[in-house]
Amino acid sequence: MSISVLEALAYFKKPALVVFGGVAGFVVGIWVNSTYFDDATPIQPIEFSHRIHAGENEIPCQYCHVYAARTPVAGVPSVEKCMGCHRSVATDKPEIIKVAQYFADRKPIPWIKVYDVPDFVHFTHKRHIKAGLECATCHGPVDTMDRITRQQPLRMPWCVDCHTSKEVENGRDCWTCHK
Amino acid sequence: MSNKINRRDFLKFVGAGTLGAGAGFLAADASKMTTEFLIPQVNLPEDYSPGIATWYHTVCTQCSAGCGISVRTREGRAKKIEGNPSHPVNQGRLCALGQAGLNVLYNPDRIKTPLLRDGERGSGSFSPISWDQALTTISGVLGTLKIQKKANNAYLLSGGVNGHLHELFALFMDQLGSKNYLQHEFSHPASLYAANKACFDEDVLPYYDIRNSKYLLSFGADYLGAWLSPVHHSVSYGHLRQGTEQRGRCVQVEARMSLSGANADEWIAARPGSEGMLALAMAHSIVEQGLYAGADAGDWKQALGAYSPASVAERSGISADRIVRIATEFAAASPSLAIGGGAAGASTNGTANLVAVNVLNYIGGNIGEAGGILFNPASTFSIDAPRPRASYQQMLKLFASLRGNDAEVLILHDTNPVFTLPAAANVKEAVMAVPYVIGMSSFMDETMALADIILPLDTYLEAWGDNIPDPGVGFAVASIAQPVVKRLYDTRSAGDIILALAHQIGGELPANMPWTSMENYLMEMWRSVYRGKSDDSSDQGFRKFWTSILESGVWGESPQQQDRPHQAMGRAMLSAVGMAQPSFAGNESEYRFVMQPYLSLAFHDGRGANLPWMQELPDPLTSIVYNSWVELNPKTAAELAIGEGDVLLVESTVGRFEAPAFIYEAIRPDVVAMPIGQGHGNYGRYASGRGSNPIEILAPETDSGSGGLAWSATRVKISKTGRRVHVIKTDGTTRDLGRNILGQKDGHA
Amino acid sequence: MSTALEKFKKYRKPGYYDKFDYHWTMSIDLDRCTGCEACVVACQAENNLPIVGEQQFAMRREIKWIRIERYWEGEYPDIKLQFIPMLCQHCDQAPCEIACPVFATYHNQDGLNTQVYNRCIGTRTCAVYCPYEVRFFNWFTYEWDEPLEQQLNPDVTVREKGVMEKCTFCIQRIRQAKDAAKDDSRRRVRDGEIKPACVQSCPTEAMVFGDLNDPDSQVSKMARNPRGYHVLEELNTTPSIVYLKRVHTDG
Repeated sequence: MSISVLEALAYFKKPALVVFGGVAGFVVGIWVNSTYFDDATPIQPIEFSHRIHAGENEIPCQYCHVYAARTPVAGVPSVEKCMGCHRSVATDKPEIIKVAQYFADRKPIPWIKVYDVPDFVHFTHKRHIKAGLECATCHGPVDTMDRITRQQPLRMPWCVDCHTSKEVENGRDCWTCHK
Repeated sequence: MSNKINRRDFLKFVGAGTLGAGAGFLAADASKMTTEFLIPQVNLPEDYSPGIATWYHTVCTQCSAGCGISVRTREGRAKKIEGNPSHPVNQGRLCALGQAGLNVLYNPDRIKTPLLRDGERGSGSFSPISWDQALTTISGVLGTLKIQKKANNAYLLSGGVNGHLHELFALFMDQLGSKNYLQHEFSHPASLYAANKACFDEDVLPYYDIRNSKYLLSFGADYLGAWLSPVHHSVSYGHLRQGTEQRGRCVQVEARMSLSGANADEWIAARPGSEGMLALAMAHSIVEQGLYAGADAGDWKQALGAYSPASVAERSGISADRIVRIATEFAAASPSLAIGGGAAGASTNGTANLVAVNVLNYIGGNIGEAGGILFNPASTFSIDAPRPRASYQQMLKLFASLRGNDAEVLILHDTNPVFTLPAAANVKEAVMAVPYVIGMSSFMDETMALADIILPLDTYLEAWGDNIPDPGVGFAVASIAQPVVKRLYDTRSAGDIILALAHQIGGELPANMPWTSMENYLMEMWRSVYRGKSDDSSDQGFRKFWTSILESGVWGESPQQQDRPHQAMGRAMLSAVGMAQPSFAGNESEYRFVMQPYLSLAFHDGRGANLPWMQELPDPLTSIVYNSWVELNPKTAAELAIGEGDVLLVESTVGRFEAPAFIYEAIRPDVVAMPIGQGHGNYGRYASGRGSNPIEILAPETDSGSGGLAWSATRVKISKTGRRVHVIKTDGTTRDLGRNILGQKDGHA
Repeated sequence: MSTALEKFKKYRKPGYYDKFDYHWTMSIDLDRCTGCEACVVACQAENNLPIVGEQQFAMRREIKWIRIERYWEGEYPDIKLQFIPMLCQHCDQAPCEIACPVFATYHNQDGLNTQVYNRCIGTRTCAVYCPYEVRFFNWFTYEWDEPLEQQLNPDVTVREKGVMEKCTFCIQRIRQAKDAAKDDSRRRVRDGEIKPACVQSCPTEAMVFGDLNDPDSQVSKMARNPRGYHVLEELNTTPSIVYLKRVHTDG
């Protein structure tokens, strides 16, 4: 009497099907989440367009993100700064009216962070800009985006790859970023 | 078993797939960052850039030394307190308690709004009211008193404030028509002031030049721990030890080894209260050996005749040989310096003890010499009116008036006498006897709880002020305190409150106190300082001057020493010298031990107990945290079969408390010691209900020369309660055990 | 594979670096140190050390990157007490580094013994291997009572439960000084430019911090002092902290 391997395996056919279903579902779930519920492009409280400001009007990045070259954080402009132009520019647009309302209420605009690193990472804009990096190297073609989309995963391998290829001084020491 | 896929199997497949998809979705979601916000400013901040620290200079008020501090702020929040490098008192350094100022500012137990009592007096039940309501009520009460010409029935008891806030208090009470303004601080060394007044005719303390001394002989003064200006002394001590080629020597005379005693080269465990006699015996020895060459040597020989080392040896417990040896070393070292304080100034003969220390300095030729005692110049400031710092006697007098029928209003500012005075003083009862009590403080404490209305104060990191350090540093110095952060809560500074009250009370007060705020008042006062110092009286010139002080945090004038008539000083001392035997409350046979409470390094007089960093700071000598303890000599402990952690009942003639025992190796067998600071009943979540307060059971003995509390003049008996607790500390073994951790064994170096 | 193994072996061998870029070293003069505990609070403030609470403290779970140890000698009345500040010695041949299974603690190019919180898995092996007992474990995620969290230093990571931590020689201050040096187009950090929090606060100036590679630095001079020694020298850990023993005179 011979035993067919296939026949022996046939016993596992149905459980295998269920497991396969589960795994497939899991993969689909991840795909759906990352495709349709991606947090790389959050919806902001005001539909601010970098395309109009940085692209069409060619406002330099550091006109608004004033601290980028001299402090660890790039900084978002104060509401006052927005109003500096928008007291007279495009005052009738619905989004600008929202900004004016924030300013009138003395409330900050709760922008949602697109580029965020965990608290145990001490990233500094200053060193990167002083090293001659373009903003677009990490942030992508901001001047073409209406709504900002995260261009990079902001995971450690991405940081370390760049530090390695550019031979950054002490660039691979953990305590360069974690402290 | 059929291998065909039936309906059930299909449903299983679909079910698994759905569950899987859900799990996958959630897993992907969980791997995402939580949404963080990027909150901009509405207006661009002028004084900081995000991510970059801004430093502000101000003045520390954690004790009365007046160190200059630099506070590191980030995004408008205080992050770290360090010493201000350009401040001559602390020269960039700061003690543990000073650095814990952040715990004061961000303390969760701060009073956040004005409070009105809504329960029984002393029940501690309050409800919030508005500032308008509070100030209107208080100005109504004070205004009525003024109109009725009964303002002298109003009393102001403040903590040890200094500088223009003190001036403002004095002015306000004067304008109101009251002479009853006093300051209370447990650590105020009344006997030291009295002794220096008697010897040098000075109201301010002299400058003890530890830095340049080669032989520092301290009688009870814990100059590295809590005496006068510990950070300044520590800076000087470092220089004395290793700053020059010749290492200075330190000798400490005290019954219980303090931090300074632990660092001294020699520790002399004299009987409590005999320090002055020892000093005189040393002076005697110097004169006898012909090492004193002054013209008045003959007079001194006569005056010191009764204090031969042999006669003092028995009374002090120190052998005559040792006294003579120390005296000879002291006279030979140049320059040498003797200082006195702490327990030596807190026995019934405290002032006499400290006069004796001055005499030793005089005989040693150390007065007016670098490395000895130098004099602070008379202040060029108008604000140097003597502060009404009350001795214990004066406090008792105050309480007697409070209990009298006339007292109507008591204003308490930043002081906690219920905690810092013995229970025998009946502080609580005296405060309760006053019909209306106004409290001003940042924290609820045992005294504030007795108030009818409480005004919440800014902490010192949120308020304007100024400070003239006392003891000074040998030349005129003052510093300005400025807010380093925006105030956290609906609080105000004491100066602003006083000015607001003056305006509301009306009469001639608004005209005589026209300033709009403490900041405005300070600037006007400093403008007059500036006018006296500079030819340029323009507003622009003053602004520049003001800004420069704020930037450096300190204003000073170049050192100028004043010559003192040496002979006259000698005559003054000759007439002042005279030594009474110390007396103690409680007879020796029943109450075997002299109790010495001491100022804790972490809590000072108890005010630091609500700071979590300080609660968790190991005591430098015992490494104990979070509790009280009673220190006993190992021999005493062995004799009474007491081990570490045995809860002891400590009884004086007037009170008792329980505290665990700690076997302390360096304390006289006839003395027990205990740190001050714990034992709060109502002082926030970190302090309340911890340990016990040794001040409570002190007998109301006073120093006869100054009327100050003789807190080292109480005898106690101790007995075991039978309970035992775990004394929490960081130390394991406290012996080196051959590990050569200290590098003292040969083979190293 | 073989290269990784070689690297691993080389790493495990003492003296991985032929020469450190900087050789950060601290000297502590025990003749100046008074045991006043200012450094302890300075460190607590600078490095976001938690308050563990009375109960945890009683279980010896305190977190103090620097502590003052005290040693008695003799008996009353001829008794002496001596203090010694104890902190991570940043050993060049550190026992803890050999222990860590995930390389969360390693030696970096500046001669520092690092501790990387996000790598640490909390085996606590390093703490067992450390002869100086200066490594501390977070048994819990300690909370700050509101608003005490506002005093936290934003330049230093707040640790969570399950990781080891220890003195970093105030790496945030070192990084900041290097950053400032780069801004000024300087190659090197100046001597005395970096003061860890404990060094900065020390009232008696007992502590000096600097680069041992620079023979003219203050710390190099201190290290050449004949009073200098290492604690537990016989263990050959080659610590980066040089203690200067206390001077005892007769009496």
